[in-house]
Amino acid sequence: MITGGAPEAGVPEAKDPTTPLWRAAVLLRVLTLVFAAGVVVVHVGEYARPWLALVAIGLMAVWTAAVTAGYLRPAGRRLGFTVADLVVSCATMCLSPLVLTPAQLAGGQVPLITTVWVTGVVAAGAVCAGPAVGAGFGAVVAAFNYGVRGYVDTDLTRDLILLVGVGFVLGLAASTSRRSAERLEQALRAEAATAERERLARSIHDSVLQVLARVRRRGAELGGEAAELARLAGEQEIALRALVSTGSVVREDGTVDLGARLRLLATDRVEVSVPATAVRLPVALAGELEGITREALTNVANHAGPAARAWVLLEDLGDEVVLSVRDDGVGIPPGRLDEAEREGRMGVALSMRGRVAGLGGTIAVETAPGAGVEWELRVPRPGARVAVAR
Amino acid sequence: MVVDDHPMWRDGVARDLGERGFEVLATAGDAAAAVRIATTARPAVVLMDLNLGAVSGVEAIRQITGTLAGTRVLVLSASGDHGDVLEAVKAGASGYLVKSASVEELVDAVRRTAAGDAVFTPGLAGLVLGEYRRMAAEPAERDERLPSLTQRETEVLRLVAKGLTARQIAARLVLSHRTVENHVQSTLRKLQLHNRVELARYAIEHGLDADPEAERTPQ
Repeated sequence: MITGGAPEAGVPEAKDPTTPLWRAAVLLRVLTLVFAAGVVVVHVGEYARPWLALVAIGLMAVWTAAVTAGYLRPAGRRLGFTVADLVVSCATMCLSPLVLTPAQLAGGQVPLITTVWVTGVVAAGAVCAGPAVGAGFGAVVAAFNYGVRGYVDTDLTRDLILLVGVGFVLGLAASTSRRSAERLEQALRAEAATAERERLARSIHDSVLQVLARVRRRGAELGGEAAELARLAGEQEIALRALVSTGSVVREDGTVDLGARLRLLATDRVEVSVPATAVRLPVALAGELEGITREALTNVANHAGPAARAWVLLEDLGDEVVLSVRDDGVGIPPGRLDEAEREGRMGVALSMRGRVAGLGGTIAVETAPGAGVEWELRVPRPGARVAVAR
Repeated sequence: MVVDDHPMWRDGVARDLGERGFEVLATAGDAAAAVRIATTARPAVVLMDLNLGAVSGVEAIRQITGTLAGTRVLVLSASGDHGDVLEAVKAGASGYLVKSASVEELVDAVRRTAAGDAVFTPGLAGLVLGEYRRMAAEPAERDERLPSLTQRETEVLRLVAKGLTARQIAARLVLSHRTVENHVQSTLRKLQLHNRVELARYAIEHGLDADPEAERTPQ
């Protein structure tokens, strides 16, 4: 594995979150080996082949040392190694019919030569590859247990359930800790990115934006070509400010701050007023409201006249949000909207009415020649009744 | 008096104001200096940026408006810092202007601030509206001392937020220009009063008030 190889900038060597589980699995291996050795000491005089029992224990001790060395290093924690571990463990179990007398084997009073030592490989498989593999390793060991004994009874079936259960539970613990470590890392990375963005925003605010604002003001006063440069500086100032303003990020619950979204629509002709606190709405609804606002502003730019300015106001009333778009342009003569609808021209009014109706909201328009146009949208907030009841 | 940590901006604004007949008593580059110099210079209007490095302008505004009765603070800041602007007017600033405003707008705003009017941009009206609604929605703050807007004040504030001038609002609501200005001022005054009460209550609850008599003083 390359975990230790290429540390990311500033982040120390990535730690395997399952390391404590691996240590526990190794400890279990050593303890069960000691137990198996004890069992051999007690029964050695009664075995069919005592020398083979000692050979088997020796083999188990060597293998325990091998897996201890392997599993304690992140590089050794591979599925291939745990499968090899499974093969060795089960092969050792198969020595039991040669060590034990046929009566011992059939009686169930004397344990197999490997005893509980074989649970170690189940734990290793589970920690390495999760609950499915853990349960699978448990099932394989239990199958050999039946095969070696040559019969089926309640004791062996209890072993089956315990082996499969241990594999499943430990596997679940391992994958859970892996997942939460991943999430934590993601969160830390996101936090670092946000902090960096804010630092950048502050520094841009303190330098570039101040200068642009100054250029914009002085240039406008000087007039002529300088005024044109001032206008360009002003546009860049607004674009840059929108770029560095944070807050329009989609949260985990699928909501987004509509206020932050609308603030990005501000230009030197459009002023956007929103509450200081976030106006959280589902992404789809916020997107639609932003789209309607854009449509209204496009309409202002196309029809309200070259000098027209526009204002966008967002209000959060709890159970509904109110969005107003007003301009000081030429306005619409009385009857023009109805006339357009009658003639079948899909005017902006019809389009906006349809979009707002689709959100379950209402829209009102006020206009007079020379007095601009004012739209007011009221849209209910989804799930508002729950919030009110609480 | 002009407070801004950016020398080019500070001197530029001071020169603009000087050229148009204002007397610039002093300038300052950070919040601590602003409080110190304002206390001795006692200007009628402090023109203040909020982005002053380590110490925020909000605390300076609180100290200046809290101790100097004759001094009003007009915030001149980039439109990006919405939360800061709201905190600034709650702390006692009597108006807010974006830095990209023209010299004419700036001069007019300083003149109106000196005269005691509240200088509202549509953006500030939206923030203040939002703040009243936030307070009304929070059960913890819902008590008898909570300031609320009258229907008329809400109406006026909404129109300001939609970009109407005081004169246009007066025409639309059939009110005098003066009445409209008073409504706007009143929305700000109530917010600042509430903020002071909240701070005092917080100080007493958390034992920050050194004077034991203060606990018996009615709020």
